[in-house]
Amino acid sequence: MLPLLLILAAVPDWVPARWHSSDVKTLELLNQTPVNCLLLERSEWSPGFAKAAKEHGIATLGVVRPSADALDQARKPTTLGMDGVVLEGDFDATVIKALLDSKIPTVELPSRARMRLDDPTLLVYGSDQGLWPGIQVEDNGSAKSAPSGAPWIDTNTGFLRFMRASTDKPVWIANIPPANMLVTAQRYIQAIADAEITGARWVVAFDDDFNKRLLAREPRALADWKRITAALSFYESHKEWRAMRPHGQLALIQDAGSGALLSGSVLDMIAVKNAPVQPVPTPKLNNEAMKDAKMAVDVDPSALSAAQKEVLKSFTRAGGTLLSAPPGWTFPMPKDGSITVAKDDFKKLDEIWKEVNGMVGHTNLGARLFNVSSMLSNLVAPAGGKQIVLELVNYSDFPVESITAQVLGAYKHARLYVPGAAPKDLPVYEVEGGTGVDIDKLDVIGTIILE
Amino acid sequence: MTRRELMRTLAAAPLAGRLIQAERSPAMPVSVARCQSYDGDLTGALATMFDQLGGLGRVVKNKTVTIKVNLTGSPGLKFQGKPLGLTHYTHPKMAAATAYLLERSGARRVRFVESAWATAGPLEDYLLDSGWSLHTLFSASKIVEFENTNALGKGKRYSRFKVPGGGHIYPAFDLNHAYEDTDVFMSMAKLKDHATCGVTLSMKNCFGNTPASIYGDDAGEHEPNENPTKGRGDVCHEGSRQPAKSAPSELDPKSSRDPGYRMPRIVADLNAARPVDIALIDGIETIAGGEGPWIRGLRHVKPGVIIAGFNAVNTDSVATAVMGYDPRADKGKEPFKNCDNTLKLAEAMGLGSTDLSRIEVRGSRIADVQFKFSA
Repeated sequence: MLPLLLILAAVPDWVPARWHSSDVKTLELLNQTPVNCLLLERSEWSPGFAKAAKEHGIATLGVVRPSADALDQARKPTTLGMDGVVLEGDFDATVIKALLDSKIPTVELPSRARMRLDDPTLLVYGSDQGLWPGIQVEDNGSAKSAPSGAPWIDTNTGFLRFMRASTDKPVWIANIPPANMLVTAQRYIQAIADAEITGARWVVAFDDDFNKRLLAREPRALADWKRITAALSFYESHKEWRAMRPHGQLALIQDAGSGALLSGSVLDMIAVKNAPVQPVPTPKLNNEAMKDAKMAVDVDPSALSAAQKEVLKSFTRAGGTLLSAPPGWTFPMPKDGSITVAKDDFKKLDEIWKEVNGMVGHTNLGARLFNVSSMLSNLVAPAGGKQIVLELVNYSDFPVESITAQVLGAYKHARLYVPGAAPKDLPVYEVEGGTGVDIDKLDVIGTIILE
Repeated sequence: MTRRELMRTLAAAPLAGRLIQAERSPAMPVSVARCQSYDGDLTGALATMFDQLGGLGRVVKNKTVTIKVNLTGSPGLKFQGKPLGLTHYTHPKMAAATAYLLERSGARRVRFVESAWATAGPLEDYLLDSGWSLHTLFSASKIVEFENTNALGKGKRYSRFKVPGGGHIYPAFDLNHAYEDTDVFMSMAKLKDHATCGVTLSMKNCFGNTPASIYGDDAGEHEPNENPTKGRGDVCHEGSRQPAKSAPSELDPKSSRDPGYRMPRIVADLNAARPVDIALIDGIETIAGGEGPWIRGLRHVKPGVIIAGFNAVNTDSVATAVMGYDPRADKGKEPFKNCDNTLKLAEAMGLGSTDLSRIEVRGSRIADVQFKFSA
């Protein structure tokens, strides 16, 4: 086990994956890939594998789930030379405290509702609860449409954006592929990108069939593995994007108590419109957080302190448009531990969504994207920089052609980055209030940098 | 004369009148051209076609030309993930080539119009969402503008178009000003089947002239709803509610509510009220089996053909024949299995002939380009 301080320094660079083998030869599959942290089930805990992994520069973590002897189990991985433990699920506080006291590096992946957002001791902010990203499909095979007529995209980006706004620590989402589903390489890349465009990381996890085929080095599985790791490498070769902050003129003030940890919540509704948004966790609401905003949505005004109410008054006095949830309106939180709003509560959510949609309308709040009904995006920028970065994910099984982006501000150069290809300069042109740029075709992921 | 004989005579009289009118319906030349791809010389192909029809300049010089494109359904709904222009939407390259050609032929202004699905927002946004590059379009023509005709748009009032002869379903339609404030009206359609009307060609494309603000399912009861968010199923297809009372109501609310009865008549009425001056039908790549991805059993097809004419009924009749159908087929026969034949209804109103023996086809022969849409 590495000293805790060294682990702390390494964690932000960990590219995690669930690994279902203790055969040291399987480590060869990780050569030339960015994966450097393996989550191992108990059956794969082995001193030999941990040692070999270390020689490859790969950290190993033992996965432990709630049980009567959880603490004993959690103490074992480090004794076998592994680097730490992952507590997956909701554990008793005494177990967590005991591990903290014994200085065993511990990554917690509880349910979203049990995440401790105010605990500075956490190595990673994460959860094992997530939607499998992609376009929802009806029983008849056609894409399920949102009220806008556009396909509805299942995504974790709203939750992850909120988490990223809440902490500077690494954010992981560790959901696994749905059972009984044929998952293509494309869908795995979408799952990676769904997290990466927010600056978070998906703990790579494959379905049983792919796992078996990959470990057996079946040629098609190896080809898919190459594509998947190329997507990981793409984001790892642009770590600077992860450090950038959301850029845009719309602020969303929300907290865990008002649905921020859910998927399909207000952040995801705005995301489907591809409107840039800055999540502002309620405890972080201050003048600095609102300095770039021209519009704001306050999902739960009753949660604000007197000082925070004053911040919003100043915001509106300075010309900002504020949309507050109506008095008495409360976010329809699920009661069964679910991470999505119950279907019966959609109508209640729709009340606020209509207002948000009406306010955002056709306004350019930093970037407007067109012909992107199967895509999500995230607009980020470095502090004080003259650059903006527009990250794109296509959740469809087909490439998207003829995408247009209109960003606020005058930019002279635009360059498109996609995995496995040289960056491509895109012609820029002037549009009302800003700069236009067109992409001919995008497969799954791409990023435009405008300068 | 017995009462029964009198009734028979009265019933036969309009039919006889319609038959005479049908025989006298205009029959103008229609141009047909092979065109296998949107990436070739589309402008050249179109120029040749309009030259075969006597030239575009004589029709559009110093004129405002309004082009009704076909962008049916939400742009978010794609068939097999293909670009919309390759399936059920007007292809942007067809639009750009036409705009370029119109400008070159002396048109003063080219205005693209469509009643964008479920929105009254700027048509430019809708086109961008449909995969059009406005940047490219403006490069092709400097005289282009846009209007979303799903509501009042840039106009101050709706224009009323009366149906000559009184109409089948509605006596008149209230439409966006763009359909009145123009010298030349072009229907830029797609060669497609249609689940309700049999075929979607230049005439059926004009069903999209109707603003959802008045004819939509969330139209106001009395006044137009300037922020429509729905289609026109209740008012037009089903007739389960009336349009906003600011517009003329149905002639006979007790008439059949069958969409196969109503829609062909509404389309014929619309074409009589606001006739098409130039019909241009894109059959380079399209879909067969229906008009959009919401119809089951669609096929992406590449007929590789363009059809153009100065009479919509003539042009649609030739196009129907190109699709492998009989343009004079009665209800019950392909493609009008569950509906009346819009073409024949329009013909009976004197809008144009469906008789292929009277329509001169220029360019390619129908038999040479025929592509059977029937599965």
